[in-house]
Amino acid sequence: MVKTFEEIPGIEWIEGTGEFIKIEEEICIGCANCVKVCLADCFEIINNKATIKSLDKCMECGACWYVCIEGALIFNWPRGGTGYKSDWG
Amino acid sequence: MNEKYDIVVIGAGFGGPIAAKKCADAGLKTLMIERSQNVGEKVISGLTIPFYGFLFGPEFIRDGNPPFERPADGIINYIIKDIEKGEIDIDDSLKVPKPFSPIIAFGYNTYCKPLCEWEAKKAIEAGVELRTSTTVVDVIKEDGYVKGIITDKGEKIRAKIVIDAEGSQGLLAIKAGVREKYPPEAISLADTYDYEMTKEDIDKIFGYSVKMCWGWDEQKIAPPLGYGNGLMVWPYRESIHFMQDQCLRTDQKSVPNLKKLFDEYHVNITSTLPWWKNEVAPRAKLRARMWEGFEIYVGLNKKLRNIHNHINGMILIGDAAGLESTELCDGVPAAWFSAEIAADVAINAIKVNNFSKSFLKKYDERINAHSIIQWSISGTNRYNLRIAQEQHSMKKLKKFIYNGWGLGSLTHFTTPLIKTILLYLRKDPKIISKWIKMYFRYFQNWLYESYDYSRKKELKIQLQNKITVKESFFLSILNWINSFVKFSSRLFKWFIHPFSNAANKFMKIALPFIKPFYLGLLKLLNPLTESLNKKLINFVDHANPLIFQEPINRRGG
Repeated sequence: MVKTFEEIPGIEWIEGTGEFIKIEEEICIGCANCVKVCLADCFEIINNKATIKSLDKCMECGACWYVCIEGALIFNWPRGGTGYKSDWG
Repeated sequence: MNEKYDIVVIGAGFGGPIAAKKCADAGLKTLMIERSQNVGEKVISGLTIPFYGFLFGPEFIRDGNPPFERPADGIINYIIKDIEKGEIDIDDSLKVPKPFSPIIAFGYNTYCKPLCEWEAKKAIEAGVELRTSTTVVDVIKEDGYVKGIITDKGEKIRAKIVIDAEGSQGLLAIKAGVREKYPPEAISLADTYDYEMTKEDIDKIFGYSVKMCWGWDEQKIAPPLGYGNGLMVWPYRESIHFMQDQCLRTDQKSVPNLKKLFDEYHVNITSTLPWWKNEVAPRAKLRARMWEGFEIYVGLNKKLRNIHNHINGMILIGDAAGLESTELCDGVPAAWFSAEIAADVAINAIKVNNFSKSFLKKYDERINAHSIIQWSISGTNRYNLRIAQEQHSMKKLKKFIYNGWGLGSLTHFTTPLIKTILLYLRKDPKIISKWIKMYFRYFQNWLYESYDYSRKKELKIQLQNKITVKESFFLSILNWINSFVKFSSRLFKWFIHPFSNAANKFMKIALPFIKPFYLGLLKLLNPLTESLNKKLINFVDHANPLIFQEPINRRGG
C-alpha cells in the first residue's frame, strides 16, 4: 500500500516499514527536542515522555535521533523497499 | 547457505555505484545493496555538483554522458539587510565570465535520482549485481573482522571487504564500530521544495546562476538554530529547487520548533523577497517537498575529522564517512573521490589477501592527502556567518559571503585546485583537452537533452564522418594544447608546482588589486565577449557530436 499526503506533495510512503524508530521510556527525559526538529510531526510528549504519534510522514532524516542527547531514541532504517520515496530529490 | 562475494557495497547513491563499478572492472565479484525499491528514490538534495567533481572524478563520468538538469555558471548572493524594505546587496563575483559561460560551467545542477540510476546502470554493465528493496541491518563480525553483512530478510552475505556507502547517518558504520554517532552540531537539516516552471521563465529569471540569500535571523530567511542562515535556489531545466537548511545545534538553552520556523520562514521568503514574490511566485507551481539531514560540519571538528574511516574488512565512503562540503553543502565530488580510492585500496587488499585495518589505512592516508576533499570539508565561512550574526556586523557578513561564495573563495581554493591540476597533468598530458571536450559535450548534451538513455531533440546537422573547417580548427586547438602541455611539463614542475603551495597566500594579497581590474576588464570587453559567446554557443549547437567525444574504445562512457 502506498500513502500520500496533500500537505507534503510529491512524496509517497510505502507501508510495511516496521517500528524503525523507538523511544526507550526509562531513558527519555521529556526534553522534546525530537518533537521540535521533526518536520513530519511524528512525536508528542505524554506524561513528560516523548511518544511516537505516527511515523506515516517520516522522511528518515534522522534529525530526532541526532538531537536526542540522552540516547533514548533508537533509529534504524525501515524494511527494504518501504518508507518514503521521491522522484524529485 | 551463505552467499559469498569479494566486495559488498551498501548503498546505490552517488558513491556506491562508483566503488562497485571499479571493483567489478577489476574482475571482483561485487554485490551492491540498496534499501529503496528503485535506485535514487531516497536521495534528497538541492544540487549543483561542482566542476571539480567532474574534472577529477571517475573517468567514465568525465568521458560519458551523465544526465543533468542545467549547467551552472556561478552564484548570485543576495545579502538581505532588511527584507521588509527590500534593502538587499548583491555579490555575484563568483561567476564564469563570458564568452566561456555557460559552456565552461561552474557545476551541473541535477536531480539525484536520474544521475544515481545512470551510475548504477554503468555499474551493472561492468558486472555488478544490484539487489534493491534490501536493508542491511548489521555486519557479520568474526575474529575482529567484518566478514559480511546481514539483511532485513535474514540473509547472511559474506564478503572479503564491505564498502559502506549508505549515506547520511551511517547507521551501519556505528553498528560495526567504525565510528560513533556524530553530534547534532555537525548536522544540517535541509528543507527542500521542488517547483515546476517553464524553461523560458527559468532562462529569463535565473539564466544559469544559482541564487543564494543570506541575512540576519530577524529577517526570517532560515531558522536561527545553528550556524549559517541561508537559502539556496537551484535552476533546473523545467523546475527549480528551493532549500533552507539549518544546523541541529543543541548547545542553546532550548531547541526552537523547527517545523514551525521552517514553515514560517518559507512563507516569509516566498511572500516578501522581491525577486521571488514578483518573478518566481506567479510562475512556479509546487510539485514536491522533502527534507534530509546532512553531515556538513564534520570536517570543522578536528576530533571528528580524525575519526578513522575503516576497520578490519570495512571502509566508509562519502556522506557515511562525513565527507560533506561545509560551504557548498555538497557531498557528491567527495563521494566520487572517496569511492574510487576505497575501491582501489580494496582491490589491492584482495590481491594480497590482507583486509586488516593496518592495510586499509592506505584509504585513510589517501583521503587525508586529497587536497580537494580536505579543502571541501574544512571551509569555515559558513560557520563564521554565526559570528557575523552574533556581532551583527554587516562588514563581516559580506566578507564571509565573499570568501565563501564569491571571488574570495580563490583565497582558499587556488592551492588545492592547482595542486590537483598538476597531479592530473603528470598522470595524463592530454587531460586538458579531455576536460575541454567534456565541457563542450556536456553543453551540447544539455541543448539536445541527450544523456545516454535518449536524445530528445534532433541534431541540427546530418551526422557524417567529414568535419567542417570550424570543427577541424577546434580539434587543432586541442592538439596545440596537448603539445604545449607536453612541451611545458618541466616548466610546470619547476615553476608552477613550487608556487602552488603559496598560491592561496598570493591570492589573499593580490586579489584586492586584481578584483577591480578583472571586473573592469569584463565590463570593458563585454560587447566583444557577448558576441564571441553567441558564436561559441552556435558552434556547439551545430557541431558534430563526435568531435567532443573521447575515442570509443574507452571503458564506460
